[in-house]
Order: sequence, then structure tokens, then C-alpha cells
Amino acid sequence: MTSPIDVFVPDIGGFKDVSVIDVLVTPGQQIEKETPLITIETEKAAMDVPAPLAGLVAEVRLKRGDKVSQGSLILRLADATAGEGAPPAPSVAATPAAAATGSAPAAATAALGTPSAPTPAATAARAAPVAAPAVMAVDAAAFSKAHASPSIRKFARELGANLGAVVGTGPKGRITIEDVKAHVKRILTSPPTPAAPAIPTVPAVDFAKFGPVEVRPLLRIQKISGARLQASWMNLPHVTQHDAADITALDALRAELKAEAAQQGVRLTPLAFIVRACARALQEFPAFNSSLDAGGDNLVLKQYINIGFAADTPKGLVVPVIRAADRGSVYDIARALGTLSEKARAGKLTATEMQGGTFTISSLGGIGGTSFTPIINAPEVAILGVSRSSHQPVFDNGRFVPRLMLPLSLSYDHRVIDGAAAARFVVHLAKLLGEPRNLL
Amino acid sequence: MSTIDVRVPDLGDAKNVSVIEVLVSVGATLAAEDPLLTLETEKATMDVPSPVGGKLTSLSVKKGDIVTSGTLIGTVERAATDAPSDPAPAPAPPDALDLVVLGAGPGGYTAAFRAADLGMKVTLIERWPMLGGVCLNVGCIPSKALLHAAKVIEEAESMAASGIEFGAPRIDHERLRAWKNRVVGKLVGGLASLAKQRKVDVVHGTATFTGPHSLEVHGADGTRRLDFKQCIIAAGSESVRLPGLPDDPRIIDSTGALEIPADCKRLLVVGGGIIGLEMACVYDALGARVSVVELSDTLMPGADRDLVRPLQKRIEKRYERILLNTRIATLEARSSGLLANFAGPTNPAPEEFDRVLVAVGRSANGNAIGAAQAGITVSARGIIAVDRQMRTNVPHIFAIGDIAGAPMLAHKATHEAKVAAEVAAGHKSAFDARCIPSVAYTDPEVAWVGLTEIEAKAGGIDYGKGTFPWAASGRSLAINRDEGFTKILFDKSTRRVLGGGIVGTNAGDLIAELGLAIEMGADAADIGLTIHAHPTLSETVGMSAEAFEGTLTDLYLPKR
Repeated sequence: MTSPIDVFVPDIGGFKDVSVIDVLVTPGQQIEKETPLITIETEKAAMDVPAPLAGLVAEVRLKRGDKVSQGSLILRLADATAGEGAPPAPSVAATPAAAATGSAPAAATAALGTPSAPTPAATAARAAPVAAPAVMAVDAAAFSKAHASPSIRKFARELGANLGAVVGTGPKGRITIEDVKAHVKRILTSPPTPAAPAIPTVPAVDFAKFGPVEVRPLLRIQKISGARLQASWMNLPHVTQHDAADITALDALRAELKAEAAQQGVRLTPLAFIVRACARALQEFPAFNSSLDAGGDNLVLKQYINIGFAADTPKGLVVPVIRAADRGSVYDIARALGTLSEKARAGKLTATEMQGGTFTISSLGGIGGTSFTPIINAPEVAILGVSRSSHQPVFDNGRFVPRLMLPLSLSYDHRVIDGAAAARFVVHLAKLLGEPRNLL
Repeated sequence: MSTIDVRVPDLGDAKNVSVIEVLVSVGATLAAEDPLLTLETEKATMDVPSPVGGKLTSLSVKKGDIVTSGTLIGTVERAATDAPSDPAPAPAPPDALDLVVLGAGPGGYTAAFRAADLGMKVTLIERWPMLGGVCLNVGCIPSKALLHAAKVIEEAESMAASGIEFGAPRIDHERLRAWKNRVVGKLVGGLASLAKQRKVDVVHGTATFTGPHSLEVHGADGTRRLDFKQCIIAAGSESVRLPGLPDDPRIIDSTGALEIPADCKRLLVVGGGIIGLEMACVYDALGARVSVVELSDTLMPGADRDLVRPLQKRIEKRYERILLNTRIATLEARSSGLLANFAGPTNPAPEEFDRVLVAVGRSANGNAIGAAQAGITVSARGIIAVDRQMRTNVPHIFAIGDIAGAPMLAHKATHEAKVAAEVAAGHKSAFDARCIPSVAYTDPEVAWVGLTEIEAKAGGIDYGKGTFPWAASGRSLAINRDEGFTKILFDKSTRRVLGGGIVGTNAGDLIAELGLAIEMGADAADIGLTIHAHPTLSETVGMSAEAFEGTLTDLYLPKR
């Protein structure tokens, strides 16, 4: 009987903190060399970690959901049978440092950005210090606290690496030269990580140089919504699907019901029908009524349909929310629209009246336009833009007939919604709008 | 009427651009802003206007030439009526020197040599005939030579109680002075040859900036102008004079004190800082009766009290008087001596002294170099502010050493010098040292590095401490001294060294280990588990760490 042997996560290509999505062995199990032990999921793919040698599993040291890196302990093998070709223990339990040394020259080359093949990221990273020699893009406070010796600090400055962001793997968390190289390599090879460097800024221009100017501060709402719009536009992969709905019948029905609506004290606008139609479509396509959770791993499907509509007010753009847009009659929706619009214009909306939306409509139909690309009201996953309806010749039964067509522009979060689903959603929506009596 | 050189203006990043059109010819009469040339850069074509009005007297470029920022276009004889305009900061002329270093002290010569080693053409300007600055000529080095002499005298004297009597020393001040000067001479001569080996051009004279890219040097052989692309200012500091003192050669500063006059039987040291106490130590050993007067309530302000106490106890016994919280009210020059009247809580009686050494600090020389002409901002106290790369507010001009501010120490200057030289040579260096040691070469020596307890308390920093008294060190007892101790301050959570202080023989040498420990992020166990040779004074550093770790066996420390 040999002494127990620790089995570690091998070199997994520099990935750190990857998830264990499955543990494939249990204590007491006799395993062969190359038996898969765990499945881990990296950014790029899932992979199995095979046993480096045969033996009896004495102890499993991690569980599903754990985060592991190269060198993490997987399990302990008792009675490791030195089967044919079984490597000696020291190489199984290769320390991270020793294993990392093997890839060091490659890392160094990448980090220094060989001029022969500059990737865009490498060029950007190298351009910054050159453009601003006086101010190095280094967080001085974090740099001065990093557990790194003077030679490592000098090396990090040469590469422009921010030591505060480097994780040390040396004794007691000391940052080694390999850590700095690995950090720079990771930044150069994976630019679009969540902690990506700041986007380049638009250069400031002294407009007064070219003529008189007036400086006016942004409205308060503009400042707030500006940041949210930018966050949505940068974080969500937007795609916009354009289509048109035939609302000839809807327009006729609206005219027909005008008097009745007036009796009930409401103005039956096209938007009321669009809200109702969207509510129906959302029932049919629940993914459009969802959000991604904070981790981005789960879809949160909401069992309520609250539709926000963008309202233009003197103080800026606001989005009041119509609750339970799938219930009640179209008159109820029209009434809610009227009340909320009135309050929005008066600046009297309460915070709760602007919360809880699951889908948003931005209608510019009253003004004009043929299509646009609305920005999703994140964390919602879709928004419908409505442009101005117009009479269009539609080929029907061998001849052109004039139909009142309403342009629809649906922007959606492509992480959640596929293009085909979006096309189906808009087609279905157009169909609903084409049969307005069903919407009452 | 004057002739001015017209040069290609700053082209930003564009270099080596083509002249696609020359719009003027020699003899043309120009108004200011008249276009002279058309250049074509990668992005656009641009006209170069004349900065002044006048007559074009020569033209140095032709169509098809390749030019860059600073290339001479021609000369214009200024029209008499043309108002003297202030053209925008011109780039350095293309034939300007790579790097000019102003001042050849430890900072200046280090910067010059490092830059030369990095391939720059360097000119070093020094106002004195000798290189080396204050440190080599009238500071660190000669004072240490004299302190060595003082130590030999005192050690010989102290052995009398142990059975070896040398008798009273006979001191030949002249030979002692000559020996000290030889020590200085060796180092200074070495510097001159180091400069020659590196092909660093040494210019002697007093320099004044005349523009952002030019200096005037007034030397024995006249005045010459130097154009430079980059400059490192290392012009140092000088002793602060006390206002209101009579003009008398018996009132001396540290430079004068190093001349060790033989007739000084009674010395008053004004200022109880490091420089004053070191010179007090020398004069005491050479047989003078020494008094020290200090304005604050403590000797060596800045050092932790416990570190100063062993020194204070020793010199209180040896010196005539140590007056704290006291200042000189008046100083009267008499033929028999200098009569000092004191003002302080103990109302000390007036006393007469042969010499008065004024050592109340040093002030930076920032206001003596015409910095404003180069656009450099200088504080009221003569200090030039710099960033981590040692750049002044004028990015191609650097400042290092005393002139860049406290602490005014040669080893800070040399470190900054290398940073500045490397940055000037295009390297991405920056000053990120975490600590700078301070040493007083008194007897006993006092040294500290990193965090002090004074700073920790002021900053509310929670720290742990390991202390080892030298009374328990065999080596310390064997060299007949027992008053020293070593202490190290630690971060309680990471257990890393934050700072430390040592008082005792060779403390200045022993402090190096703690400086390295701080830079390397060593913790208490790292130091305690490093084997220190026995019996040495360096053991006390390891034992202080063990005292903090609780593994020390050379003392009995009750469990905390």
C-alpha cells in the first residue's frame, strides 16, 4: 500500500476560478487511470479532468458549484496502484508555480506585445502609456500596497500592469513575476471581460474657439436616464427587428367606438390597442417578458405583464407603467394611459408608477418616422418602437389595395432572444393588431 | 532691431514631414503671420506662418526638404516697429543637448551617469570646482571621517576602566584636517574620472534658466548658452541662516564646523537635529565643552522618543548643557568670545562661547536658478514640486534631491536621480520606494526606517511591536556598550514589517535589513526564521522579530 496521493486540477490554460459543474466519482470508488473525475466549465467550453493514475478514491475534496483553478485539490487517492505508466507522485502534485514556469516564455512574449503581430488589444494597451508619458495608467494607491518586491514593481511598471489587480500566487500571496506576466497575458487575450478597461473617451473640444456658445446643464432626468441608457446600450447586445402591421381594421374600429368611448370618458388611442396586443403577444412568448438574473446564469420569467410606455415631458423622458396590461378591457388600458400621461406631463408620477415594468413601448407615431432602433429599458429584454402609420399599397388578391400600415421596430436582448423568436413575436403582434375586435 | 531664428513649430506627433512649397524668398518683407512654407503631414497640409514681421535675411529650407519640429527655416531681421511678441513655447532646436543635469551632488552625478549609461549625451553643470556637492565635499563624507576619529578617541578612553590606558590623546588638528581632506579628495577625484569614462561633459559655472529649453552658464571663462531637450535639476540646498545674528567668523554652519578650529574650547550648537548632534559629538571627542540649544521639546525631532533617550542620557552626562524649549535671544560678539543670551523656561544664564554652530535646517535652492524663465513652479521655500516620475510642471524638466523637497538625504537623491534619468531616457520608471532610512551618526547611532510610532499614533494605525534590548546581546556587552535596543513595528493582521528603529553602535548599518524587509513585504516569521550570525549586533533584529512572534528564548517575556 502506497501513501495517499493528492490529485490536483491540471493546467487548464490559464483559466482561474472555473466552475465545477459535475463531480463524477465518489469516495470508495475504484478508478482507472484516465477515469473522468470532475467536469469543469470554462468561458469557452466544458471539459473533463481525468485521473492521472489508478487507485481508490479516499476523499473527494470539492463539490459541484465550487470554483477551482490550476492546482486546486480535487481528491485524495488511497492505495494508488502504480499501474503501468503511472507517473511518480511529485509530477502529479505539480505545484502551480512549477507548472506555470513552462508557459512563461510564451506569456512574456504576449505581454510585451511583439511588434510583428500586434492584436488590437495589445496595441491599445501599449498606446496608452506612450500617449500620456507624464501620467502612467497605474492605480498608485493599490500599487503601493501590493505584496510585491521592488523588482516586481519595476517589471509591472514597464508593462503598465496595475499591481493592485494582480493576484499573487507566491508564498503568502506574494506577487511573482509569473503572476504579472499571466495578468498582462489575460488582459491582452480577453479584452471583453466584465472588468474591461474604460472605453476610450470622446476628445473634448473647445467649441468657443469656433464661435459663441451657450452652456446649459442637462436636465436632471436626462442625467439619470442618460447613464441608464448608456448602461443598457453597452451591456446588452441589441438587435432591432422591423415589420409593419396592417391597422386598417383597427383604425375603423376605433372610429366606430369613438362615441362609446367618449361616453365612458376615455380617449381610445391606437396606443391602447398596441399595449393590449403586446400583452397578448407576451403571454404567447414569455421569454420577452423576462430578465436575466444578476449572475447572468438564469432567466427570470415574470408571471405578470406590466407595460411601460415612454412619455415625453417638459422635464425629460419618463416611463410610467401600466400594471396587469393583460387584464381588463381596452377601455381600462386607455383610461390608465390617459391618467398616467396626464400625471407624467404634470410631473406628478410617483416612484411606484414608474417601477415594475416587464416590457416597454416607445411610440413616436404621433410625430413621424418610418422606423428607429429603440434602446431596451434594461433589465427588460425587449422594447417595441412604434413609428407613424401611413397608407401603403398592399398587393392583395392580384391587385394593390390601400392599407393603413403601422411600422413596428422591436429591439431585443440577443443573449435572451433569438432572431427567429423576435421575428415570430413581431409577426404575431402584427396579426393581433390586424384583428382588433379580439383585443377589446 | 534684432535678428531671430525662425523654426518649424511643434508638429505634435508628426515627424519628418515634407516641405511641399516655399512661399517666400530671401529679402522678402514679411508681416507677422505671413505664411513661409507649406508642409504636408500624414493628415493634412499646413502653412507655417512667420512668428514676427521683418525682413527675411536667410532661408535654410527648400522645396522637397524633410523637416521636423525645431528645424531652422531661416532668419528674420525684426522690423523696428514690431512689438516684442511672446511666441508660444518653441520646441528645442534640433542640435540641443539631450540632457543637461544641473548640479553635481550625489543626485546630479548619479542622474548624469545613469543617463549616460542609457545612451544619452549628457552635460553636467557644477558651480563649484569640485564634483560631489555638499555630501562629498562638506557633508556626509568629511563629517563621517571626523566621527570616526571621535569614535577612536572615545573607545580608547572607555577601555581605561577595563585595564587598558592610552592616556590623554594628543590631537594635531592640522593633520586631522588634512587626512579628512584626503578622504574627500579620493572620492571627488574618483567622480571626475567616472564622468570622463562615461563621456559626460562637465561644465563649471553657475547656471540660470533663460527659457524652457535653454540655460546660461556663468563660469570663470565667461558666459555660455546651452540648449537642451531635457533637464534634470539637482541644485540642492544650503544651510538656513538665523536672522539677527552678528556678522562674525566665529558663527559657523556645518561647512565651517568641518574645519575643526583648534582654538574652539567651548562650542554652542544651535539646533538639536541630526547635523547639530553629529558635530557636537565630534567637538566633544576633540575636547571641547559642548552645549546644545534646541527650540522644540526634544532632540532629533521626528525620531521616536525611546530611540533618542539612550543618546540623550549619554550626552547629558558628557556635554556641558542641553537646553530644550530654548532659543537664543541675542548673540553678542565680544573679543573674548560670543556671548549668548537664552530665552527659555529655565531662564539659563548667559554664556560665552568660542564658536557658535548654527544647524537649524537646510533650505532648497529652487529660487536661485531662474526657474521662472523656464516656466517651472517653485514654492516659497525654494522647493520644486514633482510627480512620481520626478517631472516638474514642465514635463521635460525634472527635479531631484533636496530641491525636490524633504527628506533632504543623499540616498533619497540618488534613488530619485535614477528614476529621473530612466524616465528621461524613455523608460517607464517611477519613484515607488516604500521607505527611506534616516540615520544619525552620533554616539550611539540612531537609525529608523518606515513607520515610526509617532506617525502610527498620529495616523491611528494599529501596530504590534517587537523589541530587543542590547543589554541582553553578548556582542553589545563585548564591545563595552549596553544602552542600545532594536525595535520593529508590525502590521497586526498581516504580521508584515511596517517600520523599525535601532539605537546603538552601528545602528545605521543594521537598519538596512529592516529597509529590505519592508520593500520585500517580509513578516515577523520571515525575519525571525532567518538565521543571523552569532554573536553580532544584527542578531538583535532577528530577536526583535522573535519577541513579537513569541519564540524568543534570550529573554523571558511573560505571555501576553
